Amino acid sequence: MSAAVSMRDALYEAPGPKTRRRVAIGTAISLVALAALVAFVIRQFYINDQLNPRYWSFFARWTTWRFLLRGFLGTIRVALVAGILAMGLGLLLMLGRISSSKVLSGICHVITDLFRSLPSLLLIYFFFLVIPKYGLKMPSFWMITIPVALAASGVLAEVFRAGVNAVPKGQTEAAMSLGMTHGKITRKIVLPQALRIVIPSLVSQLVVVVKDTTVAYVVSYPDLMQNARVLISNYDALVSMYFVVALIYIAINYATNRFSIYLAHRSGAKIISRTEENPV
Amino acid sequence: MTAEYAGPIIEMRHVDKHFGQLHVLKDINLTVDKGEVVVLIGPSGSGKSTLCRTINRLETIDSGEILFQGVKLPEEGKELAALRAEIGMVFQSFNLFAHRTILDNVTMGPIEVLRKPKKEAEEEAMELLRRVGVAEQAAKVPAQLSGGQQQRVAIARSLAMHPKAMLFDEPTSALDPEMINEVLDVMVELAKQGMTMVVVTHEMNFARRVANRVVFMADGQIVEQNTPDEFFDHPQSDRARDFLNSIKGH
Repeated sequence: MSAAVSMRDALYEAPGPKTRRRVAIGTAISLVALAALVAFVIRQFYINDQLNPRYWSFFARWTTWRFLLRGFLGTIRVALVAGILAMGLGLLLMLGRISSSKVLSGICHVITDLFRSLPSLLLIYFFFLVIPKYGLKMPSFWMITIPVALAASGVLAEVFRAGVNAVPKGQTEAAMSLGMTHGKITRKIVLPQALRIVIPSLVSQLVVVVKDTTVAYVVSYPDLMQNARVLISNYDALVSMYFVVALIYIAINYATNRFSIYLAHRSGAKIISRTEENPV
Repeated sequence: MTAEYAGPIIEMRHVDKHFGQLHVLKDINLTVDKGEVVVLIGPSGSGKSTLCRTINRLETIDSGEILFQGVKLPEEGKELAALRAEIGMVFQSFNLFAHRTILDNVTMGPIEVLRKPKKEAEEEAMELLRRVGVAEQAAKVPAQLSGGQQQRVAIARSLAMHPKAMLFDEPTSALDPEMINEVLDVMVELAKQGMTMVVVTHEMNFARRVANRVVFMADGQIVEQNTPDEFFDHPQSDRARDFLNSIKGH
């Protein structure tokens, strides 16, 4: 988007002739280095016999892709549900934290910091190993989804709080002067603006959620990573499989990022486009 | 409160306020009668904005009391919100709701606070926007309007609540010079229609033309108050004379 361009313009002055030459030389060197790196990787693949068709031929089979697709859907399901839970919980934690009740605010502060500082793997072990001991049995889907959601909720609570703090004080004062109550001001004035502000950080956190789901193998939930591991032991094809799976994860997160740019664009554009739709 | 209430609309008695060590309001006593236009002037840091903001409790006070229509300001909750709904406020930085259209900005109060039906609120809002001369901007968002237009919308937003009095906290200080008059014109019109107004401003011509009373503040105190002609032509205190001299001569 144009925002990136204007950011660069804001940070650097327009290049003069010397700078342009230096940039050209730098670009050439980088391209050569990149080509060398790619050549090196291909050579290493070749030397280690990784280009052997037996490591790649099974990708021509539909069953391979069907199995990977199932894993992919598993990953999406966990990431989506965990993401939604984390956003809901994060929002509640943030609202509790900014409430005027000292007790509620204190409790939410502690919970937020707890979830934020605990590694998600530790939370997963807790739900996988500790909780079942006390008789609470749950499907492996929830054993991965809940801990990932909890870990993300702490961070999201802080993201939301940053958004609320970024809404200018005058917005609240104007709403107060109209006689709106605290709850109404939060719902109608502060949150809608805060959410728009935090869309980019929100999405980068959702990318973290997607990456967190990769530890699903711990609880044997069939996500993309787990299914890839199964295929790896079936075909004895470590490098090629991880290579393809990495590309799939990159694609998922690239799509997530594009979606955020679309959202950010739309939430800004929506208000403006209304002028053209119904001029008075 | 009922319409028969005949006393002063706003009454401040022995009001004191500190910002940390700073004593920003010192024993303020002030009454504003129905239909009166009171202009607060004084050097920056004199406490005039703070005084204005205490009247609808956007600033709390340390001691003393403030009465609106003879009733002490509630300290919190629904009662305070209900009181604020009766006092209009116009800010230096407009503070229009950035995520809503101009029309939404004006209907927000009536719909959310007065519980008016949307259609009725919108009709009245359009009428008010016409009155302040920005009706054709109704579907835009605040960022698309000039400062002068935004401030006129802010006035319309306040008027939509049918306030008993209006507070103006330096309403033209953030405006480009060519837009100041379009806002002042709306305020003059309001004053003519009998609106009770407390106005913090540096626009001395406006004060002279419209005010019933000028209140001069310095260092958190009300130094003197008088009719505009008396105040501008025969200031009593040295502080006021110095202040008037410092802004003259251009």
